[in-house]
Amino acid sequence: MRARVGESILRLWSDSGARSLFVVGTGKNVGKTVTMRAIYRACIEAGVTCALTSIGRDGEAVDLGDAAPKPRLWLEPSTVIATARNVLPTSPASELLALTPYHTAAGALAYARVRSSSHYELIGPPSASALRAVVGDLLAFAQNALIDGSVDRIAALAGGDDAIVVSCGAGAAQTVGEAVDDVRALVVRLRTLRFEGGDARAIDGALTPAIVAQLIRERETRAVVVRDPTQIMLSGKAALYAFDQLTIRCRRPLRVIAATVASIGGEQVFDPRALARDVARATGLPTFDVYAAERAA
Amino acid sequence: MNPGRLLDGVSAQAIGFAWLRAALAPASVYGQARFSDLVPFDPGEEGVAGERAARIARIAAHLDRAAFDEARDVAGNVPDAGQSIARATMGDTLDDAGFLELQRFFDACIRLDALTAGCADLPRTIGASLRECARALETGRAGRLGFYLDERFDAALASSRAALAQTQAEYDSARGRANAAVAAVLDREISQPEFIVMRDDLHGPLPPGVRVVRETPSYLLCELDSDETVLSALRRRDEAAAAVALAEEAVRERLSAVIRAHAAGLGAAMQAFGEVDVLLTAARFTQQHHCTVPTITREGTLAFEGARFLPLEIELQRERRAFAPIDLHLEDIAVLTGPNMGGKSAALRTCGFIALCAAFGVPVPAQRASLPLFADIAWLGIGSESERDGTLLSSFAREVVGLREMLSRQARPRLVLLDEFARTTTPREGKALLIAVIGRLRALGACGLVATHLGGVAEASAVRHYAVRGLRGIPQKPGAGNLTHALEILAASMDYTLEEVRGDRVREADAIALASLLGIESRVIDAAYDALELE
Repeated sequence: MRARVGESILRLWSDSGARSLFVVGTGKNVGKTVTMRAIYRACIEAGVTCALTSIGRDGEAVDLGDAAPKPRLWLEPSTVIATARNVLPTSPASELLALTPYHTAAGALAYARVRSSSHYELIGPPSASALRAVVGDLLAFAQNALIDGSVDRIAALAGGDDAIVVSCGAGAAQTVGEAVDDVRALVVRLRTLRFEGGDARAIDGALTPAIVAQLIRERETRAVVVRDPTQIMLSGKAALYAFDQLTIRCRRPLRVIAATVASIGGEQVFDPRALARDVARATGLPTFDVYAAERAA
Repeated sequence: MNPGRLLDGVSAQAIGFAWLRAALAPASVYGQARFSDLVPFDPGEEGVAGERAARIARIAAHLDRAAFDEARDVAGNVPDAGQSIARATMGDTLDDAGFLELQRFFDACIRLDALTAGCADLPRTIGASLRECARALETGRAGRLGFYLDERFDAALASSRAALAQTQAEYDSARGRANAAVAAVLDREISQPEFIVMRDDLHGPLPPGVRVVRETPSYLLCELDSDETVLSALRRRDEAAAAVALAEEAVRERLSAVIRAHAAGLGAAMQAFGEVDVLLTAARFTQQHHCTVPTITREGTLAFEGARFLPLEIELQRERRAFAPIDLHLEDIAVLTGPNMGGKSAALRTCGFIALCAAFGVPVPAQRASLPLFADIAWLGIGSESERDGTLLSSFAREVVGLREMLSRQARPRLVLLDEFARTTTPREGKALLIAVIGRLRALGACGLVATHLGGVAEASAVRHYAVRGLRGIPQKPGAGNLTHALEILAASMDYTLEEVRGDRVREADAIALASLLGIESRVIDAAYDALELE
């Protein structure tokens, strides 16, 4: 069905009560930045001041890994960003708010306020702990913070109170089925339920495949409790199998509010509506196609 | 802060050089640069060293703790403007982040000078150059702490930005109209440059202004084309953006030229900032640890009252225990005896620590102190065996190698600290060797303290003899295995003060009592006392 995707996700974000939102993808070229841009546009239209940053590098014209064209970030006045000093456009000038002690490959991380509309590249903090601190700082400058995330850096979600949107698509899978399995495994992991008491086996640190295999061998029936879902170091089929065999719970659950799909990307051609429908069924999340401006029925 | 030739590694470790360096480390990059150049004062510089210590003590008396804390905070957060100043000097045009760093540096200087106003012992960081540069950048202040290349810098910049805003609005409007027209035909929002049109939804041709970039069986991937109106608006916007870029760069060049013209003055400000930071840190140390200005003389006598070895005092404070300050007067070499765990090593370390502080022109942790600037502080004994040599030498052989190095050094005046030297050989030969070493050190004009359990050394060497007063009585044993409690009882029973001993009677080491206190079973203790009776 037709949808104003950015606006719909902004509403879900607002309903979640979180002030920061991470867009996390199942891989590269799954539409994270496009999703982020749609949400950002919705913020602008709603008059919500927004701060942006990324885990790693985003907003450049081409992907530095595979030289594929990347969606660029056109930012409007009043937007606050955290990015490397050396990738701030020389012109139009931005208002420099602060230089942080965090260093990236492109120089010190700077906080800046956009004064004239322009394209921006985001190179975020170098570590999960630095990102948490930066998100806290950004929320002092803006009402909301929007973070272009990365599936292999979800440790940054630990200790936060963020909303999460997961993105999947043709760029990171060979078939619709594979894309659906990947996003389901990610969502199952991120939506690990809160431990509500009872018999439990607490895991200090990471829940690794080796520990899971051991617990299954031991026929563990108690709840296996981790600090938060970022401690669960499982993905794909291994994650789905572990959640099927064990009662995995966490003390600090995360808030996944929506999924987005990108049927374009890579060489594969997925049917957009089939992909969105299957992702919605597999994850139970409101699922949107930003390119088609639709929500899965 | 480098020990230079004053200390070798073993001696530095024994007397707490690393601790002192950490305690005196300034917070700012400028202070750290100045601090890294600090070396001990040489003999002959007594006046300068004494004046520096006095100056630090006056600063400590002038400022309260809150001022120190705030100054520390200012120094800890000041950015390194040195790179920007250097780049400007070499003709570079600075970027806005560089101007922000400079402005923060100027702000820090202003705050630091305000915090230390009225303190004549501290240099001022603000001079005419800094004032001029701060004034030049002030127009760019955005909020309290930000920097922006504001339109007020230049009329051309203001007009070019206004033109850009106008052309951007025209472009947005033209683009928006084109988007809206396509969105109306397709009955959907167009929020991305690329978008999908489902073939099922398309009843007829695509609307004008839409270009297909990829076709699939179920959808068309499309982009919006720009008509002449949009392209024309875009051209005007790009021209206006180029004009803004030129105007902005002109302002940056002008500001960079101001920085370039005042580079020497700004360099002096950075140096002054570093000096203030170093002095404030030393003054804070002085205030925090109740240090006093030593009398630095050209004579070889080391004398102090109420002296403390700060690294140990801090450690004891964490355990809610107190360091017992000590008094000492060393004209040349003296012997120190006393029970185990009675503080002989701590007394030696205190001597070294006081001498170390004075060597750097820092007030010392003592009620009173008088000493020369030593050219060499040498430690030998407990703590030095494992460090001296990684070969298969025995403990004693390693000590001897250390002694050989110590005796070969030519520096004068020197402070030597021997902690139970020759304790690992036979008492008879150890004593003979120790007496000979003391004789040689006296001949070399050394000042120092020799801690030992061996009796008769002071009398045979004809040197002053100090002793730790020791246990006030045999303390009660705590419950089995409670080492912490045993140490507390021991500390409460021990009198750590030093007294000068006439004659050469060496007090008992109280070793058997200590062994009992620390949990050795009673039959061993009883047997030890029996053995003592038989002697």
